[in-house]
Amino acid sequence: MANPKVAFFKFSSCAGCLLNVLNIEPVLLTVLSVIDIEYFVMAKRDNHHGPYTIGFVEGAVTTPKEVLELKKIREECAILVAMGACACTGGVPSIKNFSGMNQDQLTKTVYAENIYDPFLASIPAKGIDFYVKVDAYLRGCSYDLGEFVELIKRALKGEDPLFRPHSVCNECKLKENVCLLVSKGQPCMGSVSAAGCGALCPSLNRQCEGCRGPANDCNAASLAKTFMEDLGLSKDDVVRKFRKYAGNTPEFSKGAEAAL
Amino acid sequence: MLVEAFVLPKADLGSFVAKLKAGYEVIGPVAKDPEFVFAPIDSAADLRLDYDTTILPPHKKYLVPPKETLMTFSGPATKTGEPAAPGKQLLFGVHACDVNGMLSLDKVFLGTYPDPYYKARRENTVIVGLNCIEPCADGFCSSFNTGPGMDSGFDLSLTDIGDKYVVCVGSEAGKALAAGLAPAADADRIAKGKALRASQEKIERHIDTDNLGEFMHQNVDNPVWEDLKERCLACGSCTNVCPTCFCFAVKDQIDLTLAAGERPRDWDSCQYLEFSRVAMDHIFRPDRAARIKQRLYHKMTYFAQQFDGSPGCVGCGRCATYCIAAIDPVEVMEDLRDDPGEEKAVKLYTPPDKKVTPETSPWEPQLAKISAIKQQNYDNKTYTFSFADPAVQEKYTYDSGAFNEISIFGIGEVPISISSCADVKGSFDHTIRAVGNVTNAMDKLQVGDIVGVRGPYGVGWPVEKMKGKNVLVVVGGVGLAPLLGTIKYIANHRDQFGALEILYGGRSPKDMLFTDEFDDLRKIPNTRLLLCVDNCMGMEWGHNIGVVTTLFDKMSSKPDNTIMITCGPDVMMRFAVKDMLGRGWSPEQIYVSLERRMSCGIKKCGNCQIGPLFVCQDGPVFKLADIQGLPEAAL
Repeated sequence: MANPKVAFFKFSSCAGCLLNVLNIEPVLLTVLSVIDIEYFVMAKRDNHHGPYTIGFVEGAVTTPKEVLELKKIREECAILVAMGACACTGGVPSIKNFSGMNQDQLTKTVYAENIYDPFLASIPAKGIDFYVKVDAYLRGCSYDLGEFVELIKRALKGEDPLFRPHSVCNECKLKENVCLLVSKGQPCMGSVSAAGCGALCPSLNRQCEGCRGPANDCNAASLAKTFMEDLGLSKDDVVRKFRKYAGNTPEFSKGAEAAL
Repeated sequence: MLVEAFVLPKADLGSFVAKLKAGYEVIGPVAKDPEFVFAPIDSAADLRLDYDTTILPPHKKYLVPPKETLMTFSGPATKTGEPAAPGKQLLFGVHACDVNGMLSLDKVFLGTYPDPYYKARRENTVIVGLNCIEPCADGFCSSFNTGPGMDSGFDLSLTDIGDKYVVCVGSEAGKALAAGLAPAADADRIAKGKALRASQEKIERHIDTDNLGEFMHQNVDNPVWEDLKERCLACGSCTNVCPTCFCFAVKDQIDLTLAAGERPRDWDSCQYLEFSRVAMDHIFRPDRAARIKQRLYHKMTYFAQQFDGSPGCVGCGRCATYCIAAIDPVEVMEDLRDDPGEEKAVKLYTPPDKKVTPETSPWEPQLAKISAIKQQNYDNKTYTFSFADPAVQEKYTYDSGAFNEISIFGIGEVPISISSCADVKGSFDHTIRAVGNVTNAMDKLQVGDIVGVRGPYGVGWPVEKMKGKNVLVVVGGVGLAPLLGTIKYIANHRDQFGALEILYGGRSPKDMLFTDEFDDLRKIPNTRLLLCVDNCMGMEWGHNIGVVTTLFDKMSSKPDNTIMITCGPDVMMRFAVKDMLGRGWSPEQIYVSLERRMSCGIKKCGNCQIGPLFVCQDGPVFKLADIQGLPEAAL
């Protein structure tokens, strides 16, 4: 049987998630023996059109042109995967959505007038599921490579990967890390953010930034209150924390709104 | 009686620990700035016996590791049973709360269906306890008599009385370790008692345990819970750090061959939305307030109801220490006591008294071969299985209404009720709807394919009690599968039962199961079969239209000398039961089959709990009278 055809696409983002694919060295060759990469502009010269079995999409959608491209990609992919924070929730590009400026003001602020081009026409940054149906999500900035490989395995078997979107605290406690928030007074987002990363940042003594977006049924408003009342963060700081990676989500919006 | 006791001068601690290290891996409290954790030590110099508490409870960390492999498989070939022999380990300096937490976990893991992994570790673990002469900041152990000193559960216990420790012996193994120490003098024993009494008096945090179970059951609707819902982050830290929380999740992992892999368990938490998730994304406990309540109720009373009165909370205070939202059980209990709900008669739950000790590992599925597949309707098939090993098949018996855990290696297990009649020998049936990962994979299987089967588990229908009585069967949708075996049993032993009446409702005619057997059911002597559908969807339908309770006016069953058995969606059973009670039927004559996420089937993983019930082992069939009025039971 022919290997499933896989494609990698990119919208508005840093390209780190695509690069990250190449970081699975220990299993890269094995993975390549079970899938055929048909389209991956960053990694190969010879790219082919669809249809594809699995399409991985990196990046937020920020221009009307990208919306059209995304819809075409959706048509070409049996399984469409949002790859990384930008594709999942809008990610860092979505910070602009909360700038308080309209698009015209934003364009004029960011670009010098003499280089303005219609190509720069921009719309609020959204995750790809704002426009098309998404079959699976690889959350995080960047996503976890273990989850990437797991997703490929489950997709090959035709199963739902059933990633468990509970809090980072779970993985952090299982590693018996010192709690950065309770014991060190740092505004760690782990309690409201989805795990799957193995509590990577807190394990390295860095507070969770919430790059994987909200955990299931998280209570961002309560954490925002803790940030302000117990840790003394300013309103602006709290709002920025909840709008850094996943401000588009209803869950983290509640965190930002609780601070405003 | 006087406990055998010795003294260990503090100056000799180093040599004492060095001696222990000769026979064991010694694990003790060490600093992890600014907290403490239990970890293997090189020498007594690493020990921080002045620790207040540790992030994880040592017994839980070293007896039920956060991740543990239950079995490995390669294709349908499995390897289970023997856990990798754990080395001999010695936990040095375990506080009284955690020693008592371990005794509570013993009830879970060494009770019915003893867990071989826990058992092996437990048998290879020596506990050197450390009584607390300085209470920790958040603890409230004295409320549950689980500290500051320990009475049992240790091999040796140490009490600091200044320049030396009093070393009490709790077991033969402990006595051997104390060899060479000088016996304790009366003055040493008196000093120990005095130190512990002084410590106890210094504990300022208390939970009023007076009538605790009844009190909790009277406060299910207290507004305190809604307030907690606003604060709780649902992060699950409280359960992870709890010395008695035992729930775990099982999910198969596969390598890139897609055929070989392992089945690990990971600590899970009832605070997570997906904890009670089943296929089709149905979540039994979606409300955060209900999840917080589940945890605190489990700590305060359910655990004791489930496990012979063992404490579900040992007052270690970790959940309060590590809660970002500062939810503290001591404060919660004070708030409840300050503004209590109405006092009312409360019945606590007593689970059926049974202990099963299987010869093989309870985690080991037996291989079973599909001998027939029959399409029931658009999304249900009936599979007939026989165990690959004829000896296993020969010994296999089950109660109608019980269930098996069916394994597709590489995906996982699902609990499925047995739909064949217990009279049938040589094979058994499961009627399965393709809705999740495992059942969708089942749907692709062919005759001759192999799956794994563990079981049977659970309490079935009360067939013996039904003998000599009329039987009313009220069933909705796929709920007929766990009832069909009983109906056939009645048909096979017709003279032992009175009248049989079956009320069967489906969403639409195409959703009904076993339609080709309806004529056979009608032919059973002294039997009526009444059918209804919510909506006939334009199909030809010569029967009633409406929900199943609309058949109650047409039934001939009367409450006298009749047992009603019912299975269907929760909402259907709720209305059916309410209606029948209104018609004068008694909770003593109504039996219901409940469904939850019965992930392990053997009262270990905790996923299927409804209030104090373990659906997998206390049920799934319950007498209504036994569960009526219990929190969460919803019937």
